Amino acid sequence: MDMTLNAFTLYILTGLQLGSIFVLIALGLTLIFGTLGVVNFAHGALYLIAIYLAVSINNALGFGLALILVPPILFVFGVLMERGLIQRFYDREHTDQILVTFGLAIVLQELLKWVFGANNIPFAIPSWGNGILMLHDYLPFLEGFVVYPKWRLILVVVSIVTVAAVFALLHLTRFGLVIRAGMRDAEMMQFLGVNINRRFMIVFGLGSMIAGIAGVFGGPVTQVSPEVGMHLLVPSFLVVVIGGMGSLGGAVIAGILIGMAQSFTAPYINLNTVIIYLITVVILLVRPRGLLGAKGVFE
Amino acid sequence: MTDVKSEKSSHTASGWSRRSVLKATSAGAVGAAATPLFYTQNAWAEDAIGNYPVKGSEVVLGFNVPQTGAYADEGADELRAYKLAVKHLNNGGGMLDTLKPSKLTGNGILGKKVTYVTGDTQTNADASRTSARRMIERDKVIMVTGGSSSGIAIAQQYLCNELGIIFMCGLTHSNDTTGKDKQRYGFRHFFNAHMTGKALSPVLSKEYGKDRRAFHLTADYSWGHTQQQSMQEFTEKEGWSTEGNIMTPLKTTDFSQYLSQVLNSDADVLVLNHYGANMVNSLTNAVNFGMRDMQKNGKNLEIVVPLYSRLMAKGAGSTNIDGVLGTSGWNWALEDEGSKVFVKTFTDEYGFPPSQAAHTCYVQTLLYANACEMAGTFYPPEVIKALEDFKFTGAGNGDTLYRGADHQCIKDILVMQGNSPSARTSDFDYLKIVDQVDAKTVDYDPAIFGGELGPYVPA
Repeated sequence: MDMTLNAFTLYILTGLQLGSIFVLIALGLTLIFGTLGVVNFAHGALYLIAIYLAVSINNALGFGLALILVPPILFVFGVLMERGLIQRFYDREHTDQILVTFGLAIVLQELLKWVFGANNIPFAIPSWGNGILMLHDYLPFLEGFVVYPKWRLILVVVSIVTVAAVFALLHLTRFGLVIRAGMRDAEMMQFLGVNINRRFMIVFGLGSMIAGIAGVFGGPVTQVSPEVGMHLLVPSFLVVVIGGMGSLGGAVIAGILIGMAQSFTAPYINLNTVIIYLITVVILLVRPRGLLGAKGVFE
Repeated sequence: MTDVKSEKSSHTASGWSRRSVLKATSAGAVGAAATPLFYTQNAWAEDAIGNYPVKGSEVVLGFNVPQTGAYADEGADELRAYKLAVKHLNNGGGMLDTLKPSKLTGNGILGKKVTYVTGDTQTNADASRTSARRMIERDKVIMVTGGSSSGIAIAQQYLCNELGIIFMCGLTHSNDTTGKDKQRYGFRHFFNAHMTGKALSPVLSKEYGKDRRAFHLTADYSWGHTQQQSMQEFTEKEGWSTEGNIMTPLKTTDFSQYLSQVLNSDADVLVLNHYGANMVNSLTNAVNFGMRDMQKNGKNLEIVVPLYSRLMAKGAGSTNIDGVLGTSGWNWALEDEGSKVFVKTFTDEYGFPPSQAAHTCYVQTLLYANACEMAGTFYPPEVIKALEDFKFTGAGNGDTLYRGADHQCIKDILVMQGNSPSARTSDFDYLKIVDQVDAKTVDYDPAIFGGELGPYVPA
């Protein structure tokens, strides 16, 4: 296939859009790992709960309510999950954490399949986000007719806004300052009289809430079926590893990198299937802590 | 004791009485008349193959379907059909009243009550083999049936062939199942990709014109590959050209990376060689990309889904499938006697009409049972011979031939079209029948796909 400017633009947009979903899921994963030190393999299942909630609310009451309700519900769910289960594993081995969260993911997935069936549930895109955008109207360097689905471009914007909000929260607020300090040295923070456990609970809820946002906007793109969570978990986890465990910036760069790699290798099935793993291997060989990983973390 | 002795001795002493001569003659006549039969029956009885001979008053069938994984809904419907088939085999009713010729009596198979065990293929070749092996070795099933994917069906077919157990394929549509991977112990009632291409292409060219450029997105496994080849072959015979084909990994949920390639090509038809969740996702993604409202080369861009199912159509939603053409093996709206009685008994039992997967699984179970009755034994080589070149009717697809050369059923198939949301009257009529293409039209030379059936008695 010729690499014209039109084709190149489509490749880039597709890469950005694929990367957006990875970034949104990896953001929650890496936030939870960075603060709590927990490898949360149930994060894909949180996304799954989000898309099922979103599609149910969207199809019954409209997209507006889905957008208002799903992220807070996921926040509460995340908090309950942290209090009920995850906190008991803070002092345990990473393998124990992985086993319990992976087990939870399977239970949640089968539960959703039991309730909603294994078949896909169509997610109707709201009218304002439906249809395609005539890119050639906005980008003069494109020749002829070049279009892209509006919803996927909205997803990219949502992803950028969410990333910016999380960065702002962590770097511009007092809450963020405490969290970042807690990430450095939780024990010292407790000595200073800060209830770091309560804040970590909120961080877990926040990670879960980002999965909620991803579910509301990503549902129509990834579709709503019980397998989706697991399918997204592996690439998202690799995004976290490539970016550096616990690094938000790393997750963003790695997410886009993986998205681009998938987009540009699409015509070549053999490469397309393994490209994520290939990139992971190369990066871990060259830089074991990941692109922006902190020294000594998972190195 | 003495009396008996004396009687015996007196009998011997008096030589042959008229009565004993008559007795001996009649016994000899019966024995002589039955001799050829005895020889054949002894021949079966001597060879234990698979789980033959069947001991006890019950015979066990193995239903190996996807109970978890992407095809779990289809598997659930298959299981419903199998249970219904067992009920009808033991108690009569259903297609037992319409299948012709039939030796089924509603009294089990060969007088033995039919029971069953179930397994989960997980839509995974290794899991399906493990499950089938468990049924064969632990539960002593005489026949295995099921599967909702060609890769899985082929894997089980090889295993069953090796172990001397007949495998009646469930829903599998790859040319390979009865082509290069065909096995003496494997039988497929469902149609295949080649027949889809043959039936669908003339309808496509009539509907969309002869000067069309197709771009294929293809699921990267046995079925997808053969489906793509067959669609390309037959659409090109209609005058279409093929712009490109991208193999997509089976686990893809977002097809945007592949759809961008289609947007960037000159294609004006998109052929989605995807099934199940794959097709639901790719079609929905394509609609999001505006491909149903787009014009290319001065024509409307069209989407084709070669293999359709009701469950897929429902998953994609009627707005997305409105007007999209494809093929199905069977549909509950068919009006023949076999279909009507099957739909009625299934609906009475479960409250909704059966899918095409349910239909093929139900018919396969009855055909196997009938073959045992015709052969008069469960001995697999004889049952296989009874199935080979068996011509029947009353099972929902008109006159059907179970072709002996490749174990493929040659029967009518349906060209389907997605119903618009307004045309839909229930939650089950997502698709409407556009054409019933007769068996003669979709028939083909079994030699084109190669493969060997192998011996009747496994090595």
